[in-house]
Amino acid sequence: MNRRSFLKSGSLALGIGLSSGNQAFAEDNKNKSLQVWSCGGLAEAFIPANQVFETKTGASVSYTGAFAGALGKSLLGGNATTEVFAPRVLELAKKLKAQGKMLSFEPLCFTRYVLATPKGNPAHIESIDDMGREGVRTVLIPDASPPGGQASMIILKKAGVEDLALKNAVKKGDCVQTALTDLIEGKGDVAVVEQRITRLPQFAGKLDVRPIPEQFIPPVPVPFTIGVMTWAKNRDLAREFVTFILSDQGQAFFERAGFIPARSEEGERLIQKYGVLDA
Amino acid sequence: MLKAFFSNWKRRVAQLVSMGIIGEWTFYGIFRCPFAVPYIGCGNCPVIQCPGRGLWLWTWILIGMSALVFGRVFCGWVCPGGLVSEILSMGPLLKFKINGWISRLLGFVKYVLLGLSLYFYFGLSNPRWAIPIRTGEFFKSVGLTFEHADPIWIYKTVFVLWALCLSVIISMFWCRFLCPTGGALEILSRFSLFRFIMNDKCTDCGLCRKHCFMDTRPSRKNCAQCGECKDVCESEAIEWKRLL
Repeated sequence: MNRRSFLKSGSLALGIGLSSGNQAFAEDNKNKSLQVWSCGGLAEAFIPANQVFETKTGASVSYTGAFAGALGKSLLGGNATTEVFAPRVLELAKKLKAQGKMLSFEPLCFTRYVLATPKGNPAHIESIDDMGREGVRTVLIPDASPPGGQASMIILKKAGVEDLALKNAVKKGDCVQTALTDLIEGKGDVAVVEQRITRLPQFAGKLDVRPIPEQFIPPVPVPFTIGVMTWAKNRDLAREFVTFILSDQGQAFFERAGFIPARSEEGERLIQKYGVLDA
Repeated sequence: MLKAFFSNWKRRVAQLVSMGIIGEWTFYGIFRCPFAVPYIGCGNCPVIQCPGRGLWLWTWILIGMSALVFGRVFCGWVCPGGLVSEILSMGPLLKFKINGWISRLLGFVKYVLLGLSLYFYFGLSNPRWAIPIRTGEFFKSVGLTFEHADPIWIYKTVFVLWALCLSVIISMFWCRFLCPTGGALEILSRFSLFRFIMNDKCTDCGLCRKHCFMDTRPSRKNCAQCGECKDVCESEAIEWKRLL
């Protein structure tokens, strides 16, 4: 091979190599993007979990977290699509599956309702009964968007303290976060909220929490599920994502954000209790 | 046009820097803020991505202080909405045609909107009119916000966008007549320590007003302290005054 032939064939080979390499690289990138939607309440867990998944796999996750009822409506009735969906409310996952829009789902985590008090618990709140005690200033959120408002009022009703708690209310609002700010500022003594809210960065370490007996908790808003949708372009990647989220590493993000992970002893019990099964 | 745009390059640089710092927040306030009154009380907002969560408190403190020191300097030098209005107002079809009693009447609307905003915020604890899309791609999230918002949120947003776009026809329409922040700053600016004023040399020729993008004169209503009138005044009747 003379020098000219060597340069010609070399250049050609390099050109083909680079172009096919670029194509493969682009194709690979294209296939490795994943659209994930979830209930907005899970955002604090999903955001760091997604970052770890991206680092591990090289895939990019395009994540949307918003009120699951709205996202579900868009998916059920509208022309919206996503590849992985993690909704609150078991019925929504079942509806999506029945419509053939979700391939399958698995239990993801459970929320926990608690009594939140200012740090140090100055009004000595020990149980939900104390919300009806004379002189206790309750902060209620009856008008908060689902499930925050309605669920908290059902809890009070089931505990038999609704009327007294309403009588003791110093605030009746429509925003859970404003209610907790009121508690931190000492404008109230106690509120019923999801534990996850007390873990938000602006509230973390500024409140005390007390448990609420499980028999008072309405079942509907408690379980969260996760499933791969029929629109998933790369189903292997979508399944890999779900597997990661349900792994010990993935579930730790949900525990840190204030949820009970499905893959835990307590989670297993709640799966049976609430029937979170893809049957 | 570009030359005219950068004629006061210091102001443009200030506006562009400000656009870089608070511009994204401005867009979030219009398109993704779920509350009746945006840009205030952002610390408790569920929209995680909005930069206003970290910016709002100090920004408002600085805006309030700037008004007490320099009048509506925020409107002329900092506000990203003001910059957009100015760009839309370049060569408006009806410039200077809104004046007299109509202008005076419209000038009160911003105070009405300010009063309404204060009522919604303090009286009604700033109700939520849209479902917050806590996090997501910007345009998809805007689409979802519109899809699931209460009609009143859509009316409000369309009204704001319509008023901003009206600058194409009537110069700085939103800023001059409707902006509640401008209304609040207008009130505070009456106590400002520094401002451009007209001195005794003024011949009432109206050249300053003709040159002004806010269609006003120094220290009069809507003066944004841009100072662009100073160089066009042939009588040297405009000066920077320290009112201490």
